[in-house]
Amino acid sequence: MNYDMFDEMNYFTNLNENNFQNNNNNMNISPTTLFNPYEGYVKGNLFKNLYETYKNFKPKGISITNERDEMLLNVNQLSFARHELNLLLDVYPNNTEALNLFNRYLEMEKTETKNYERRYGPLTITGEIDTNTPFAWENDKWPWEI
Amino acid sequence: MWKYEKRLQYPINIKTKDLRLAKILVTQYGGSNGELAAAFRYLNQRYTMPDNRGKALLTDIGTEELAHVEMISTMIYQLIKDASLEEIKEAGLDSHYAEHGKALYPTDANGVPFTVMYFATTGDPKADLMEDMAAEQKARAVYENLIDLTNDPDVLGPLLWLRQREIVHFQRFKELYEMYKQEGL
Repeated sequence: MNYDMFDEMNYFTNLNENNFQNNNNNMNISPTTLFNPYEGYVKGNLFKNLYETYKNFKPKGISITNERDEMLLNVNQLSFARHELNLLLDVYPNNTEALNLFNRYLEMEKTETKNYERRYGPLTITGEIDTNTPFAWENDKWPWEI
Repeated sequence: MWKYEKRLQYPINIKTKDLRLAKILVTQYGGSNGELAAAFRYLNQRYTMPDNRGKALLTDIGTEELAHVEMISTMIYQLIKDASLEEIKEAGLDSHYAEHGKALYPTDANGVPFTVMYFATTGDPKADLMEDMAAEQKARAVYENLIDLTNDPDVLGPLLWLRQREIVHFQRFKELYEMYKQEGL
């Protein structure tokens, strides 16, 4: 996936100002940029200013061996980025930049989820599900199985 | 109401069994600083948060912790599933096997069973959020201890990833704590 359009964007430049105006709270977070969804997902942290490594350990990366892995990675990374913005918005509900990006990632996540489900079966019981027997929900491996 | 997603939050594929590691990793399932305690600490505290920021944040982080319970459970399952009885005995897991076979059971690394004492709820929003900040720090520290004790990349990947989640959660709790303090809530 191509996230170049997000790389140069700084969604937090005006974070302090916006929150002072809208929430009247004394938030003290330094302006920063976000990792793109893939980078953030691999690291487990979407926020560049919060990312701190342990000793010299580097993220191990996501191994992709087939198309299914790749399509699931698309769902996972967008879901993760959307969730990170979800947690931020819980605390700063009036942050317009964060909400716009949340909405954008959510739409992309929905598309990627449908793409995956149509090929490999439902990720949720209300997802894209085959109407014929056998029951598609219980088909195939469960997440803890290799 | 909750809805299950049939995927892990971060993929886990452990190819090499390791009973010694399973025996200590279980603390992030059933220990005092583990994911199960975190999930229900937050979900239990959310009812008495003074506003929607607190209710939303505790609901959403509590829900994410349930996904971490699943990740840790998956790791333990995969580390144990192919072990022989001989290996189980050698690793000192025969007492676990006697009670639970190869099933999962939430304890800390010393075998002490999970207890609701770990929920630590006062009903005071600032005290509870401070507790949650401490919980995230302690879980981060335990992840670092566990990272020191393995060199399997299949295990290190998810542990490093989960450690980052503690850092992000700590930050969000801290921000909300500061707001509540400022606003006198």
